[in-house]
Amino acid sequence: MLGMKSLGTWLLCALLLFAALHRRAVSAESNQNAEYQWNLPKGFPKPFVPADNPITAAKVELGRYLFYDTRMSVNGKASCATCHKQELAFTDGLASAQGATGELHPRGAMSLVNVAYSAALTWSNPELRRLEKQALAPMFGDHPIELGLRDNDGFLPTLRSDAKYRALFERAFPDDADRFTIANVTKALASFERSIISARSPYDRYHYDRDDSAISDSAKRGEILFFNQHLSCFRCHAGFDFSDATISERNPDRQIEFHNTGLYNVPGLLSYPAPNVGIYEYTKAPGDVGKFKAPSLRNIAVTAPYMHDGSIATLEGVLDHYSAGGRNGHDNPNKDPLIAGFVLSRQDRDDLIAFLQSLTDEPVLHDPRFASPWPRPRE
Amino acid sequence: MTPFVHKLVWFSLAGIAIAQTPAPPTLTVAGDIAAPLTLKAEDLARMPRETVSVPDQDGNKVEYEGVPVREILTRAGAPLGKQLRGKALATYVLAKAHDGYQVLFALAEFDAEFGNEQIVVADKRDGKPLFGYQGPFRLVCPNDKAGARSVRMLETLELVRLQK
Repeated sequence: MLGMKSLGTWLLCALLLFAALHRRAVSAESNQNAEYQWNLPKGFPKPFVPADNPITAAKVELGRYLFYDTRMSVNGKASCATCHKQELAFTDGLASAQGATGELHPRGAMSLVNVAYSAALTWSNPELRRLEKQALAPMFGDHPIELGLRDNDGFLPTLRSDAKYRALFERAFPDDADRFTIANVTKALASFERSIISARSPYDRYHYDRDDSAISDSAKRGEILFFNQHLSCFRCHAGFDFSDATISERNPDRQIEFHNTGLYNVPGLLSYPAPNVGIYEYTKAPGDVGKFKAPSLRNIAVTAPYMHDGSIATLEGVLDHYSAGGRNGHDNPNKDPLIAGFVLSRQDRDDLIAFLQSLTDEPVLHDPRFASPWPRPRE
Repeated sequence: MTPFVHKLVWFSLAGIAIAQTPAPPTLTVAGDIAAPLTLKAEDLARMPRETVSVPDQDGNKVEYEGVPVREILTRAGAPLGKQLRGKALATYVLAKAHDGYQVLFALAEFDAEFGNEQIVVADKRDGKPLFGYQGPFRLVCPNDKAGARSVRMLETLELVRLQK
């Protein structure tokens, strides 16, 4: 009898232990799918997230694995991270991005930092507003080939055959009967991209936290120049993200403006060299030739070369362009009237560049949350 | 060096400067007015103050604290209240910023019997003194949908009487 009693006690203990472990596992899983913690500091609104893809820690984590996985390309040579390198604020340092097969993109890779706040994605497509949709272009696009994936090319079965992905997809999409879908891949990628937030550059510590020692006196003078009416930099690079194409949870439907900054004025029907003719490519309105998005200036010091086609190598060159009231397109009929030109002293230039450099958020460039999760590089 | 860049350098050396220094810590009230004023931060601190709440571009509430423009103009002898009639109604206030930016208000916008606008000269944002490109003083126009008249780095309020 004593033996039976001891067995019963043992079974009871085992049952309690199992229940505790199970509760812990369930709790960990529900944490993964609980409301995402943005941990945004003062001055930064909650990003807009589409209702059909609520952000969760599990989706962000899956997206990070996918983002850095070269198996997402036709030949295993490229991943999203090939053109979006963390240390370069998720750009690639090239004038023209290069796809898995070596094909050049007509424009430069844009930064993904704070892309959650972007009203329009890419340089000049006014209709492309959701990261979930945008991800399809590098994955499956033909012109140019970026990752070069094809329907039914074995990409999804490859993911399904990987035990790591089986666990990640299960946590990210627990209620889906078929978790391994392109839609879920793009949802996870979009969630990871939205998580890459830069909010505490030295400038933010100065401006929002009122830390006077966070930036130099030169950068402080540069800030005043940046917001000066004569220069009017702030008119297009406005607000907390230094872009006039910014949305947030409270302001999800912002009207986006695109700008012709007078980079070109080539002879012929179109005043910008094809194929980079701006939003005209989509609207076909002659007044839209040469109009591109004003990107965020956060981390701008590490995202050279500049402009949509990388045709300006340095920030000094960018100041030359704007102070001259446009480069080769000084007389472009679509040039934004704000690009009227101004005169800068040597000190002004140094101050403006010091201000722009104060927008570099070094921790984001090295934050392990945004780095490759793979033990060995897959990019 | 291209001739154009050369010209730019020459102009720069010639000292054509764009305001890049903080705005001076005084607010001048001048023009067609009985008692022109130069106000410092401590003067504004002693005047009747109001707090206005305005949304920023992303809908976040921001609180600005300062002195109603009506109060400042009254102190400078602007024709407000019972004096705001006849020719005085053709009076405007030009707000000038340190960087040359200017916007205009009809004097009647500030008067309690006309526009009754609660426009303030703010010196604090969320409880902290304005600084850098915003300060030390700025206008805040809570009823304007656009922000363009909420002049940053406010330097001068100038009264202009069109009919004397």
